[in-house]
Amino acid sequence: MMNKKLIVFTLFVFLYFNSLAQGGDDFIRSTGKIYAVVGVILVLFFGIVFYLVRLDNKIKNLENNQDE
Amino acid sequence: MNVKNNWWKFLAVIIMLYVLLAGMLIPMKSGIYGVDSISLIASKNTVIEVEGYNANYDKAKEFRAWIKFDSSHIALAKAVSVKNYNKAVLTFDLNVNLPGTGDVLPATLIIDNEIDGYAIFPEGLVVTRNASAADIPFKHATLDDLHVSEGIKFPYMNILHETIRNTFFHVAIWMAMFLLMTVALIYSVLYLWKPRLSYDHHAYSFTAISLVYGIIGLATGAVWARFSWGAYWTNDVRLNMAAVAVLIYFAYFILRGSLEDGDKRSRFSAAFNIFAYLAMIPLLLVIPRLNDSLHPGVGGNPAFSGEDLDNTLRMVFYPAIISLILFGVWIAQLRFRVFQLEEKHIDKINSGSPLVE
Repeated sequence: MMNKKLIVFTLFVFLYFNSLAQGGDDFIRSTGKIYAVVGVILVLFFGIVFYLVRLDNKIKNLENNQDE
Repeated sequence: MNVKNNWWKFLAVIIMLYVLLAGMLIPMKSGIYGVDSISLIASKNTVIEVEGYNANYDKAKEFRAWIKFDSSHIALAKAVSVKNYNKAVLTFDLNVNLPGTGDVLPATLIIDNEIDGYAIFPEGLVVTRNASAADIPFKHATLDDLHVSEGIKFPYMNILHETIRNTFFHVAIWMAMFLLMTVALIYSVLYLWKPRLSYDHHAYSFTAISLVYGIIGLATGAVWARFSWGAYWTNDVRLNMAAVAVLIYFAYFILRGSLEDGDKRSRFSAAFNIFAYLAMIPLLLVIPRLNDSLHPGVGGNPAFSGEDLDNTLRMVFYPAIISLILFGVWIAQLRFRVFQLEEKHIDKINSGSPLVE
């Protein structure tokens, strides 16, 4: 479940970037492409969060099984 | 959380905070963003309009500009009229005997003022020779008293512009991945030498986080490429080889998933991990250097090797690697602790269940 949501979210982020990148003098390429750097930082952040969410789920399963 | 044992986790957070603040807030040096036309026709009044980046042309008092054909043929602009803070119109007298033999000559534009320092537009211009001026001698000028802007600033490079800051994120995460995979390799070798389950679990944990780093490395590169090359992915050797290296590590997890728990799985995956590491070295470090590429740092593109990795970049780049490595070790330890809990859980079932007796 969580994985599907994250994949859809990632797709939306890429589509959003794509829509910003239309034309030559667009928003992301303005001010020396600084927003491309912001995009890179966001991808890095969400990549690590993605793994942490998976780890969280794994620990939750372990906790739930412990009582049985 | 016990500070005494977990000081390095605080360190990871503090260094990352420093990297984000310094990496995003230190300004860029001034540079030449572009010119109105890169192809010039040599005449008595060759006019070129230059657009600067981070420039203060209107505040500068001594604005000078040169066109450099080769080390001994440098022409000084005879007039400079500043339009606004980042635009200036330069007029050159090129109705002279230009060096070389071809009809068109490559040339470099250099501008200098006392606030922004000097800026170079390397090999950015193409000058068409005026054949009728062959008998008029070249008026030599020298590049002297170039100014250097004050304060800590990141270097300005063509194509890269502000994305030189990706050194601290995209490049640093590849470096961190490399080190974490080396740690995983050491644990794999240790397992083959002495088959202890904790070695196998450590190897798995470190491989998992380095694979996450590798995927982030590919994805951050794709975001950058979209805005610099116009496509998320190109058929560039460096890109494809990096993708192959990441896919080989993917296979490590597929291999583990396809085998049942036990010594056989641990041994197979340890051996595969060593193979994957040995395959990664040529894929990431050797093959991309043998081929031409659009990637910064290959084939004369601006990047961070040698003189390009400026001291101000190093000041943030090395801490960024250290911080990402510490985060990687932290997350790998979390994964390892999950293994330990699972083991305890299995022991409990085995010892506590009446079915076993």
